[in-house]
Amino acid sequence: MSITISNVSKSFSRYPALNGVSIGIATGELIALLGPSGSGKTTLLRLIAGLEFPDNGGTVSFGERDVTSLSAYKRRAGFVFQHYALFAHMSVFENIAFAFRVLPRRKRPPESAIRERVDTLLDAVQLAGYEKRLPSQLSGGQRQRVAFARALAIEPEVLLLDEPFGALDAKVRKDLRRWLREFHHRIQLTTIFVTHDQDEAFEVADRVVLIDQGVLQQSGTPHAVRSNPANDFVRDFLDLPHK
Amino acid sequence: MAGASTLYLRSSTPPRRATAESPVARAVLIGIALVFLGLFLFLPLVVVFQEAFSKGAAAFFQAFQDPFTRSAIWLTLLVAVIVVPLNTLFGLAAAWSLTRFRFRGRSFLVTLIDLPLWVSPVIGGLIYMLVFGARGWFGPWLRENDIRIIFAVPGIVLATVFVTFPFVARGLIPLMEAQGLKEEEAALTLGANGWQIFRRVTLPKIKWGLLYGVILCNARAMGEFGAVSVVSGHIRGKTTTMPLQIEILYNEYQFAAAFAVASLLALLAIVTLFLKTYAEWRADRQLREASL
Repeated sequence: MSITISNVSKSFSRYPALNGVSIGIATGELIALLGPSGSGKTTLLRLIAGLEFPDNGGTVSFGERDVTSLSAYKRRAGFVFQHYALFAHMSVFENIAFAFRVLPRRKRPPESAIRERVDTLLDAVQLAGYEKRLPSQLSGGQRQRVAFARALAIEPEVLLLDEPFGALDAKVRKDLRRWLREFHHRIQLTTIFVTHDQDEAFEVADRVVLIDQGVLQQSGTPHAVRSNPANDFVRDFLDLPHK
Repeated sequence: MAGASTLYLRSSTPPRRATAESPVARAVLIGIALVFLGLFLFLPLVVVFQEAFSKGAAAFFQAFQDPFTRSAIWLTLLVAVIVVPLNTLFGLAAAWSLTRFRFRGRSFLVTLIDLPLWVSPVIGGLIYMLVFGARGWFGPWLRENDIRIIFAVPGIVLATVFVTFPFVARGLIPLMEAQGLKEEEAALTLGANGWQIFRRVTLPKIKWGLLYGVILCNARAMGEFGAVSVVSGHIRGKTTTMPLQIEILYNEYQFAAAFAVASLLALLAIVTLFLKTYAEWRADRQLREASL
């Protein structure tokens, strides 16, 4: 599904986090929101998820549908949190099955169907056999993949990832990057991920969106951004020579 | 340098940290603490049980045959059964709103929750006298409609609610602050509504902290003397709770009976202490798991 963000601003008690941001994202695109910490990139992601709401004037649309005032639980965008935010008291299985458990009874699939769905998701993230473990018994990379599977359980049309590899060590991060790239290639889900790591953004994303101080600085393919930086911030942030 | 480190390895005691006291100072400090605890906490507890059984086990059990004592025990249980759920609900609601929302006057509200801990319980009782008593704001109206609050069970319940309401909220607020909202947000993006988030995510996260607060609230509800004494009117068999009954028995020189009832309360306190320690330990573990 395509996403249209137009003229979105957001202030937290007078301190502006986002200022008039507009972006269009095509169906199936893999986008990186890149910027230094405090640039507003995570706020933008949370606005898309419905975990924050824009100040007056801005709109967020999924496809043709205006979702600006829709709460996260009705927007149903898959969201993977920076520190996973797995339910610590639930097994891996129950974490992934959560989205089915909270469905109203008439929409809830039978237990056997839930089991089948969870098994499929566990296979997809290469964690078959781990369903009985608790999150505390998993490594960082495994937790991250459970968080992925859990977000995918709602069959979202948009996948939002907040610093998905931020808390992992270098080797695991590299593997997961490749995995995400392949995974996205396979399911062609509109995906937006936030990162402050330019290598990660350029290696994984189809298109990179640079944000600083709540303002969109540049948006384009990795090649276009690198060969034609729009301003000094982009040059500085990407360590490119000034003119 | 190398010599020094081998010395450490050989010595049987671990190396002293720079901030640690000398062994003598440590022994004296620990000794003072132990003597103090023994003298002021443990010894009185022993005396309570010794006095309770001073006329033999038969007299001990005889004390509980007294109808007034029995009704006092029932009243104490009744008050706890009403007050503890009320304050559990209140504490949950307070902790929820104070940790979830940022609003003007929030820190004032946090302070206000602690009020019953600062003021003398007697004042807690007097407040209700001034509001509902014969000469209080609603006194005449209550008399006309034949509703009794002061010198009756409702007054005792109100006074106990006042005295015990900080415990659950105070136990939960720091825990919920530390745990943050990420899991709740995750549940929200997975399509859970407010009640489902509370029941399936928040409640399991805070259950041991909640239990800890409930246990403390219960212990105080059963043991409260001051506030209840003011509003009770000491009508035997009707408005005396266990602590009040103990005082009456003691004033009437029925020492064995007074201590027998007291020992029941003390036993409750000991059980509470063990449950509290266990809940505290589990809450602590839950907090550590949350920060993984």
